[in-house]
Amino acid sequence: MTRRDGPVRRALRMAAMGAGVTGSYLGYMAQSAFLSGDQRAVRLKRAHTRAARRMSDELQALRGPAMKLGQALSLQHGVLPDEMLAELATLQMRAPGMHPALVRAQFTGSMGREPEQVFRSFETTPFAAASLGQVHRATLKNGEPAAVKIQYPGIRDAIKNDFTWFRAISKPAQLSRHLPPDVMDELEAQILAECDYEREAKNIAFFRKGLAPLPFVELPVAHRAYSTDRVLTMSMVRGAHLDDFLARRPSQALRDRVGERLFELFYFQILELHALHADPHWGNYLFGSDGTIGLVDFGCVKYFQAPFVANMRKVFLYAGSRESAHFRQILEERYATSGTRLSRAAVRALARISVEFYGRVYPADPATDGIPFDFADDAVIRDYLRESTRVGRARATLPEYVFLGRAESGLYQTLHRLRARVHTSAIVRKYLR
Amino acid sequence: MAARTPSVTRRARRPARPRGRRAAAKAATRERITAAALHLFASKGFDATTTRAIAVRARVAEGTVFNYFATKEDIALHFFEQEVDSAIAAVRRNARLRKAPLEEKLFALIQSQIEYLTPYENFIGAAFVQALRPSSTLAFSLRAFALRARYLAFVQELIQESLPRHGANAMAWAAPQAFWIYYLGMLLYWLHDQSPGKQNTLAFLDRSLALGVRMLRKGTLG
Repeated sequence: MTRRDGPVRRALRMAAMGAGVTGSYLGYMAQSAFLSGDQRAVRLKRAHTRAARRMSDELQALRGPAMKLGQALSLQHGVLPDEMLAELATLQMRAPGMHPALVRAQFTGSMGREPEQVFRSFETTPFAAASLGQVHRATLKNGEPAAVKIQYPGIRDAIKNDFTWFRAISKPAQLSRHLPPDVMDELEAQILAECDYEREAKNIAFFRKGLAPLPFVELPVAHRAYSTDRVLTMSMVRGAHLDDFLARRPSQALRDRVGERLFELFYFQILELHALHADPHWGNYLFGSDGTIGLVDFGCVKYFQAPFVANMRKVFLYAGSRESAHFRQILEERYATSGTRLSRAAVRALARISVEFYGRVYPADPATDGIPFDFADDAVIRDYLRESTRVGRARATLPEYVFLGRAESGLYQTLHRLRARVHTSAIVRKYLR
Repeated sequence: MAARTPSVTRRARRPARPRGRRAAAKAATRERITAAALHLFASKGFDATTTRAIAVRARVAEGTVFNYFATKEDIALHFFEQEVDSAIAAVRRNARLRKAPLEEKLFALIQSQIEYLTPYENFIGAAFVQALRPSSTLAFSLRAFALRARYLAFVQELIQESLPRHGANAMAWAAPQAFWIYYLGMLLYWLHDQSPGKQNTLAFLDRSLALGVRMLRKGTLG
């Protein structure tokens, strides 16, 4: 059983963490006036590490929604300093576990009936942890197996409280624009949206319809009659988690096929659907032995505005020089929509990631479309993290990037673990037409 | 079980009315009076409710009300006795709970009480105010003490069957009394909880019981 705290203790812990984190920076600021540039960099690094360790320790003790926040932040490459990322990445996302009596109370309080009255059978022990809740096996009255996701009670208020505290303690990062307030807003809005299971049921319906052209993708059906904002009943999706799939030693051909499909799924969502399943947690993908991809957990979905996607289309596989005035103008157009003026450093960082990472992984020349990119290469993840960190450091983060970056990073990491070879540019080109 | 055959002479003097049925009729009247009183306590307030109004709503004579209950507070106490008995019975009935950790047993106990109290939420608020008065028999009568003692004895029983070796520490000695104060605080939290389905109360119960049981196991506040 995970360690849990009461609300007062929780608030005290958050306050202590805030004091600790802010203290780390105050110490650095006080000293920085008397230090040389190099010394300052070393001291700042130490301040980051101290602050991060403090945050990580405290978030670990708090569990629950604060963990979710920590995990979301850990995926924002470049938004937080590397030292903080390394600490936050050690956090495992999980809401507090619910014992059967609590599961029953939450279910009955939300549905108005006991689980046994709603289903033919219901297992009180969960078979999976979900974002902010847990998933139970059940059998519908018609005999069909189902997965019932039940949310930990009061999670919405807890998340709001966590954000209030986090806004207070992350003032230094906000003032320096490393963590812009609109990025914080985006994070909060998305995490709160994940708490609404009725919205998730709508997302499932949207994606089931939208992803119909990709026959290799399997999605659950949401049973609205047995769902509320805190309980979501869905059909079961077949397939194995990535670890189990890899443990069966799939052939290179199968890994390539799955990799190509994952990649196509990602770009189909952005360019055709204008919406993205943005929770790259490995538990959310189920791999079939015939190469099918099961997609579950539609709590974290990002819908993009048409102008943003139109701008992305211009940038993807850009044929000219990525240091040209024309490329710069396209980037500026993208940022202008959110009222952000790009600094020279930001343009440099964006041009750099385009050349160093995207130019290499997605060659623009159609003549090379037949050559697959090998994601087994360790450098892929390293380069992506390094360059996206530079973008964040240059304060070129847009709210849209928050979950797009999270999903993209998850995609590369999955492809890397699959050691898949993917015709990257050919697939993107197919949807640019 | 074979039914007792009443003697012919007795039957001739008084119309047949098996004892079970008479008791059931009495119990039904008692419940009708209780339900009527609870409705009025909730809608009009405890003080503004008269025994006459209770009698009218329960469709009995005012004197009949006094046959069953000496005061309005007795009616309220009767309700709380039933609430406690039903929650204790619910926990005892649940075979799965026997092997559950202490925090889950205590959660199930309080949750059963809350489920029982839910239809009478307005009245519970009024009862709280009433119980705070020094003259209140709701909190300070022998009957009220007996009810609390019965409830806390059950809590103690749950603690002992889950933490058999806890006897030595001071926390365990004070645990039932501390639980009573906690329970009252929890009821206040529940009354003020505006979250959908009062789910903040569930979260509060879950987290605070986990913390409390952890403290009890360790024998310290830390």
